[in-house]
Parts: sequence; structure tokens; C-alpha cells
Amino acid sequence: MILTVACAGAFALGVYAVLVRREIIGILAGAELMLGAAAVQLLVAGSGEFAAGASSFGLILLVVAAAEAVVGLALIVTAYRRAKRSRIEEFGEVSG
Amino acid sequence: MSAHDLAVASAAALVLAGAAGTALARSATRLVLSLGAFLLGVALCFLALGSPLLAAAQVFVYIGGVLVLVLFALMVVGRGDGESPRVESRHDPGAALVALGLFVVLAIVTPKRPSGIAPPEMVSPLAVADVLLGSGIVAFELAGVLLLAALLAVLVIVKSGGER
Amino acid sequence: MSFVWGLLYGTGAVILIAGGAVVGVWWERKVSARIQLRLGPQQLGPAGSLQMLADVPKLLFKEDVVPASADRLLFRYAPLAVFAPIAMSLAVIPFWAGWAPLDSAAGVLFFLAVPSISVLGILFSAWGSHNTLATLGGVRAAAQMVSYEVPRALAVLSVVVLGGSLQPSELMDAWRWWWIPVTLLGFGVYFIASIAEMNRGPFDLPEAESELVAGYFADYSGIRWAVFMMAEYGAMIASALFGAALFFGGFMWLPGVAGLAVHIGIAALIITAVMWVKWTFPRLRQDQLMTFCWTVLTPLALVQLVLAVVVALWL
Repeated sequence: MILTVACAGAFALGVYAVLVRREIIGILAGAELMLGAAAVQLLVAGSGEFAAGASSFGLILLVVAAAEAVVGLALIVTAYRRAKRSRIEEFGEVSG
Repeated sequence: MSAHDLAVASAAALVLAGAAGTALARSATRLVLSLGAFLLGVALCFLALGSPLLAAAQVFVYIGGVLVLVLFALMVVGRGDGESPRVESRHDPGAALVALGLFVVLAIVTPKRPSGIAPPEMVSPLAVADVLLGSGIVAFELAGVLLLAALLAVLVIVKSGGER
Repeated sequence: MSFVWGLLYGTGAVILIAGGAVVGVWWERKVSARIQLRLGPQQLGPAGSLQMLADVPKLLFKEDVVPASADRLLFRYAPLAVFAPIAMSLAVIPFWAGWAPLDSAAGVLFFLAVPSISVLGILFSAWGSHNTLATLGGVRAAAQMVSYEVPRALAVLSVVVLGGSLQPSELMDAWRWWWIPVTLLGFGVYFIASIAEMNRGPFDLPEAESELVAGYFADYSGIRWAVFMMAEYGAMIASALFGAALFFGGFMWLPGVAGLAVHIGIAALIITAVMWVKWTFPRLRQDQLMTFCWTVLTPLALVQLVLAVVVALWL
């Protein structure tokens, strides 16, 4: 019960961070909040007879989220090294 | 209030406090500290929900790996000289309303475990291995392929960035 | 009740590491002096063993300086974030047949995962100092520790494959003497990667005094500096005890207290070897460090893993 509410709160805060942050790393941190909250909720929903399945799915979620974060950070650092830009408004065009 | 309830409550408090700090902190240092608290809280939640394997993996991958990378990226991108870089945000009521509405909907809709029941049994790593190498083998292999793809993608991104 | 045990255990771990660090510093002075043909501590007590009695109060009463430009919160508490995870990692080391202080189902993974929190403590202390040399040292330390975790985990994994469990007590129950030749290569990888994990020579680039003054703890003095040192010696003690158990059977050779003595003896030999390596080999260069990790150590660990899998399947 208490975990579900906490996770819902963390997820909503993650959405808020994605909406209001201007620095791209802040947006990525918001996405991390959502993924972490979802993983805990997955385990809450899967406790009981599906516990092993929920744990293994949580493990795969962990892998996917880590890959997402690493690619995202590589993009941020490369974009900054190329154009010295790290804020979301400064990326008007995707090409080039 | 049993020891398990106390552990669950402290894990939930850590998750909420860390998430609030991550979403609202103004300095980059506080942001990373809060994100670390959140990730540690998630690991404690995993432990309280009876999955020590997942908790250890969470600490290993996120706190030892991803968070260090986030800190590296902040050091590269940070603009201040010597000062801790600012992480700006444009707060507006619309976003707050969306987040609040989402919180209410999620808190109502998502399935809950009734409070006060006995702490869940520990899931042994062997049971997880049985699922991952049994019925979940396709997802397991796909996760491996995804990791390889991510590795190559990072190499390509970083190399192409260095040429200019 | 579990809280009381936790408190008792935590106090015990801190006392163990503090005592181990005092003995370790004395032993290191003696070993390094013997290796480099110079005099170690001689004057105070037999073989200079009371020298540390003079050194510890000096560290305790030295002024605790915080640089004016430093981030006070980070600077003050980051050393604890370096030390605490290492003290925690002692909890899963099996000392006795069928028993470890914290016999978790994922204990081996716990031992590998929890000390990686201290990377974060090092980065925070380096960044909190607001000092170029400290930040450079911290970045070096983090890059090195994150990289060397990979071969270290793979080397430990080969023992886990043979034993078929992540639980320390079960793993030690399954331990057989013929694992020593099978996992010898794995122990070599574990030994080298562990030295790199604790940032000791020849992998001590993060604190290379000839270029970075003292790296991430350049600005620290007194008790906070001592906490960094205790973390280093604590990591050495934990790695040696864990390696002695997994790769050499530790207490499995003899029953009861005699087995514990054998375990500690093997660990002491490993610690002496770590010191021997430090005082014999010159420091690596940064690019050599990374190349060595990814093109030599990781492939060797993978070879060891395949070997362990083949042996485990063949049996």
C-alpha cells in the first residue's frame, strides 16, 4: 500500500521533471525516476505466486533502463562537445 | 509495527524524498545526491519485496554504474567554473497539474498488496534463473542483443562526435 | 532484535577495520622497508610495533581543515560514504562452516555490488573539494574502479559457476580442494583487479603524488584523511578474506577455530603479496591502465569463466 503510493508519487515527480527541466540531464534523471518507480510497482504487483517471474522481468527492465541511460548520456556529452549546447531549447533542429 | 513495516516505510520515504530532490533540486550536486538516494531507496524496496538478487543488481548497475556516468556527464557539461553547475527548470502550473492528476490516477488504479500481511518469501536467485533460462529465454537473449546494440551505438555516437 | 544485531555487527566491523588498518600500516612499513633495503620503524617497542600508538593520536587531534571554497556538506560526509560500504561488504564473508554474518541468497553479488557505492563517495569528495587536482584524481579513480569491476566480477563468477550458488554458506559447503588449480587464473585476475579497486600501487594513478599531489584526498587532513586510509585498508582486508574463502577454501581446511586461523593466515599472505606488488612495480600510465583492463584482464577472466563452465558441465 505505502509502497504503491510512494511509487506513484515518484512516477509523477519524474513526469514533472521531464516537463519542466531545461537541462537535458535533468530530463534524463526524470526518466530514471519513472523507470525505477515502475520497476518497484512491477514487483509489488507480482508478489505471491508470480514472484520469480516478476523478479526476472524486473532484471530485464533494469538492463533496458541502463542501456537507455548510457545511450542518452553519450548523446548529451557528444552534443555538448560538438556545439556546446546542453539545454533543450537550444536544440531546434535534429539534423546535422 | 514490525521490523518489516519499518523497513518498508523507510524505503518508501527514501524513494519519495529522493524523487522530490531529483525533480526540484537547483544545483547539480543536490540532483545527483537525490538521484542516488532514490536509486538506493528502490534497491531497499526490492529487498523489502523479497528479491535480494534484484536489490544487489540495482546497486551494482545503477549506483556503481549509471549514477557515476551521470556525474561524469554533469562534470563535462557543467558551465560554472569551480561552482556546482545549476540545473535550471521552468516551473509552471500546467505541468504541476498534469503530474498531480497522474499521481492521483496511479495511486488509485495500480494494484496494491494489502498492508499488514506477512513479509513476502525471499525469491531465490535459482528461481529467477529458472524463469530467465526457461520460459523467459527469448526476453533474456533480446536483452543481451539490446546491450550489444547499446554498446555499439555509444561507440558510434562518441566516435562521430570526435571527428568534427 | 535484528536492529540490535545490526548495531553490534556494525560496531564490530568498524573495530575490525580500524585495528586491521593499524596493524596493516605497521606491517606495510616493515614489508616496504625490507623490500627497498631501508630501515622501517625501530625505536618504539619490539620491532617498532608501538609506532602506530604515536601516529593514531596525531591523526585524531590534527586540525580538521575544510577549504573555504569547498562544498561543506559533500566535503565533510563523502569520506563516510567511501568507508561505510566497505565495512558493509565484510558482512557477507563466510568465516565458519555454514555461517556468515549476513548469509543472503545473493551474498556474493552483494560483496561485489556494495563497495561500488564508495566510487560515488570518492567522486563526491573530489568534486566537493573544488580543486582541479582533486577532481582529476576523483575522475581517474571512478573510471578505474568502474572498469576493473568487470574482470573482478567475472573472476568471482567462475567460482559461483562451480559451486552453483550465490549464497556464501552454500558456496563454501560445495567447495572442494581441486577448485584451486581450476580457478588459479581467476584468482590472478581477482588479485590484480582488487588492487586496482582499492587504488593501490601500481594502480594508484588517482593519488599519484608526483602529478596530482594526493588526488581526491589532497585537501583532507586529520581524522577525515584517516577515514580514507581506513577505507583503503578495509578494502584490502575484505578482498583478502573473501578471496581466501572463495579461491583457497579459507576455513574449509581445518575444523573450528583452527580453520578460522587458517583462513586469516591465507588472507594475511594475500595482503602481504598486495604490499609486495605495491613496493616493487612502478606506477602505470593512464592509457596503459585502461588497455590492460579491457584487452588483457577481461579476456583472461572470460577464458577462466569458460574453463569453469566446462569443468562444471563435465562433472
